[in-house]
Amino acid sequence: MSKGTITNRGKFLKNIRGKIGGISPDKPVEKPDWTVNPQRRVMKDFDQDQLVEVLDKQCHHIHTDFFLTNSESLQETLDQVLASYQTRSIVYSSDNRFHTYQLPEFFKNFAKKPEHEVFKWNDENSEESISFSERADVGITFSDITLAESGTIVLFNRKGQGRSVSLLPRDYIAIVPKSTIVPRMTQATDYVHQQVEKGEEISSCINFITGPSNSADIEMNLVVGVHGPIRAAYIVVEDK
Amino acid sequence: MPMHIGEKDFKARVSKGLQDDFMRGAVRSAQGRLQNNRANAAEELGDWEEWRTLGQQIRQHTVEHLDYYLHQLSEKVAELGGHVFFAETGEEANAYIQQVAKDKNAKKIAKSKSMVTEEISMNDALEDIGCEVIETDLGEYILQIDDHDPPSHIVAPALHKNKEQIRDVFHERLGYAKTEQPEELALFAREKLREEFLSADIGITGCNFAVAESGSFALVTNEGNARMVSTLPKTQITVMGMERIVPGWEELDIVVSLLTRAAVGQKLTSYITALTGPKQIGEADGPEEFHLVIVDNGRSRILGTEFQEALHCIRCAACINVCPVYRHVGGHAYGSIYPGPIGAVLSPLLSDYDEYKELPYASSLCGACTEVCPVKIPLHEQLIMHRRKIVEDEKKSTLSERLAMKGFEQIVQSANLYRTATKMAPFLTTPFSKNNVISKGPGPLRYWTDARDLPQPTQERFRDWFKQRSERGDSE
Amino acid sequence: MKVSFFITCLGDIFYVNAGKAAVELLERLGCEIDFPRAQTCCGQPAYNSGYRKETIEVAKHLIETFDHSEYVVGISGSCVYMIHEYVHLFEDGSEWQKRAIDLKNKTYEFTQFIVDVLGIEDVGASYQAVATYHTSCHMTRLLGVKEAPFKLLSNVKGLKLVDLPNRQDCCGFGGTFSVKMSNISEQMVDEKVSHIQETEADLLLGADGSCLMNIGGRLTRKGIPVKVKHIAEILNSRGEA
Repeated sequence: MSKGTITNRGKFLKNIRGKIGGISPDKPVEKPDWTVNPQRRVMKDFDQDQLVEVLDKQCHHIHTDFFLTNSESLQETLDQVLASYQTRSIVYSSDNRFHTYQLPEFFKNFAKKPEHEVFKWNDENSEESISFSERADVGITFSDITLAESGTIVLFNRKGQGRSVSLLPRDYIAIVPKSTIVPRMTQATDYVHQQVEKGEEISSCINFITGPSNSADIEMNLVVGVHGPIRAAYIVVEDK
Repeated sequence: MPMHIGEKDFKARVSKGLQDDFMRGAVRSAQGRLQNNRANAAEELGDWEEWRTLGQQIRQHTVEHLDYYLHQLSEKVAELGGHVFFAETGEEANAYIQQVAKDKNAKKIAKSKSMVTEEISMNDALEDIGCEVIETDLGEYILQIDDHDPPSHIVAPALHKNKEQIRDVFHERLGYAKTEQPEELALFAREKLREEFLSADIGITGCNFAVAESGSFALVTNEGNARMVSTLPKTQITVMGMERIVPGWEELDIVVSLLTRAAVGQKLTSYITALTGPKQIGEADGPEEFHLVIVDNGRSRILGTEFQEALHCIRCAACINVCPVYRHVGGHAYGSIYPGPIGAVLSPLLSDYDEYKELPYASSLCGACTEVCPVKIPLHEQLIMHRRKIVEDEKKSTLSERLAMKGFEQIVQSANLYRTATKMAPFLTTPFSKNNVISKGPGPLRYWTDARDLPQPTQERFRDWFKQRSERGDSE
Repeated sequence: MKVSFFITCLGDIFYVNAGKAAVELLERLGCEIDFPRAQTCCGQPAYNSGYRKETIEVAKHLIETFDHSEYVVGISGSCVYMIHEYVHLFEDGSEWQKRAIDLKNKTYEFTQFIVDVLGIEDVGASYQAVATYHTSCHMTRLLGVKEAPFKLLSNVKGLKLVDLPNRQDCCGFGGTFSVKMSNISEQMVDEKVSHIQETEADLLLGADGSCLMNIGGRLTRKGIPVKVKHIAEILNSRGEA
């Protein structure tokens, strides 16, 4: 990637420095130790089962269907959810975890039914990937990190993991390996911070998804389903 | 002034607001709901005060070292292949954005909600060069198709409109033929805007928070429009007010958690999208080109002054949602895209006292704003500070007020004068009094008695009673 | 315990009965009351209008007035808060600031003093009425006195206290605000009045004369027969209604 341009910085920052008595930009500012850190106390000693419970409860507040299953029954649960969403077309991300849980097999069978279609995100074919996602009934991804407190799926969008899969289809299903559940946003941002510290490249788009899209812009009435998915389901699965 | 909305005269705007019964009803019910949600979310955390303290520390540190963090941010963005433009004025920002649009030969631009672009009138600048700009936040979209009705709230811009009005606007402008049910209206907008997202040449977003350590940008929405805007168009421009930045991801966690709770009482909104540079090689969606425009537009004038804390604002609107003055006059009465207590603090700073001299007085100083601010900006104290500036530096207070205050100072500093004045009070007011009540007061008192009675001062002051009692030796 | 009584300017000329009641009650609770006659206004009208220099002069006067007091007790949360604010009027570390801190540390609002300093929650009062209580903004939000009035009122025999809906809302007084922005202020006090009517109480109580004067003035103007009293008058009563 070639380096981008920076325009008009010198004068702009010099003006600011004049006002706040800032220090030379090449001398790093030390972040102080914040005197309080309440975020670190939230669900500090919770085990995975307790976190699942919190997630389950939170799903009721965010208009999201919640399911708990194990790897043997995952296909059955998924089938159930897809049926309840009257699903005919599915787009899913290109993620090895679908193989781990033998889902490509399941999708193959699903697609055999009349008028059913399944599409696996394909970076080589951007146009088709986006346009299929746009008309798909359901988009399915695995969760990378799951936040119990807020009921949030964190997706590190990257190669194979297109941004559109969780955005453009009518409904969205997240498969949540139980081990991905953490107390709150703090653990996810810690992870990214550590990546930055180690000089690793971070994902170009990290999405924190909490239920279906909604708006309260009309008379403060909550309307579920505005630009993004109208329905959302989380399927928590015991790790394989 | 691009920030300015509505009629020029403050009094005229206030009267208009006070007479708009529907708007006041809408605002009252919205405030009630938002206040409850916020209070519940804060209570649920249990240690809300500690969160606020942390939020305050983070914002203070960041703004005190703004030059450093903006430098770091711009380095990171450029490393990732993004282009950074520092704009000292709105005009500079608009000229740069126009140039990008021209270079891309852009016809259609899809935009997610951004206050700073309102502030600099970016849409007008883009329309001037022949671009079509589409607001994609549902509230902003409604306002845009209703002949650019100005926003009246920084989070819920169409708060002043009811669903019947929205139905009629959709019907007249877009041929909408269904009912005023919010679900149907929203679904209609969804379908209309889908087409726009897919065909837009450029996506423009605001910025809730930039993250300096990684050159990232967090966008906070419920609708998903900011995701659309940053997923589909080939070119993305992000416009940020220069203070909307945090040092790192650890701090992002805190300010986002405070924002969503304080704004709408949610633990997180439906979508928090953190973007870092353009899409990477091999990715199928996301922008190929990324531009960042960092806007000063008067903010640096606030740095290093007693108003610096106003730059800590994270635009949650909690202060607006509890303000009783806002409740009665509505957002448009402030004459600024930034209404409510934070608007009354910020607008005169970003513009000037000539334009916004009344706003610091549009507060009973009840302190509800200060109490809810998630980053502890002492909003009502800042309003007093404005009044002080107007009196001391701008010399814009009225002569009668100055004389009254001078008189007041002399009287209350002198025990004797004060005693005489309070002694005289009942005699001076007797001609105006009936049944120990004054219904039509003299001088400025008439503004008081326009709405309420004033009790007549009692003949025997407390001090007279106390003195006589002591002399009689009544006390136990 | 020696207490210097701070009547406030409105109290001195409008709410004399509140002052009398407060003095009598404090004496009954074992305090020895004096009234430094040099006291005037706390300076809030000037301070809130942006006249800082004038406020500083007023502050110095009150600091001197209460120089030798052991405790200062005022019957307005708002005025007591203003005295606490004096600390910020003077240069850090200055002699005047030290004196302002001294004054702050010994100055209390009336109900706060009874509950927090005297440690008394039942003052032995009785009063027959259905009442509602207006929590004034400066006293609750800025001075931070939230519970004391309720603790005291809950122990008044015969008094039925009804919750005031939206009690956190300002009554619209705001000092010069009520004159400068009188049309907005009017809407605010009207809203407060309608909430008071919702409670069906026949008595409105409060701990700040200024708010009571505002709400009371609107009540009489509209001919609404709700009586208005300062909390001290109820706490000092012995059965009369």
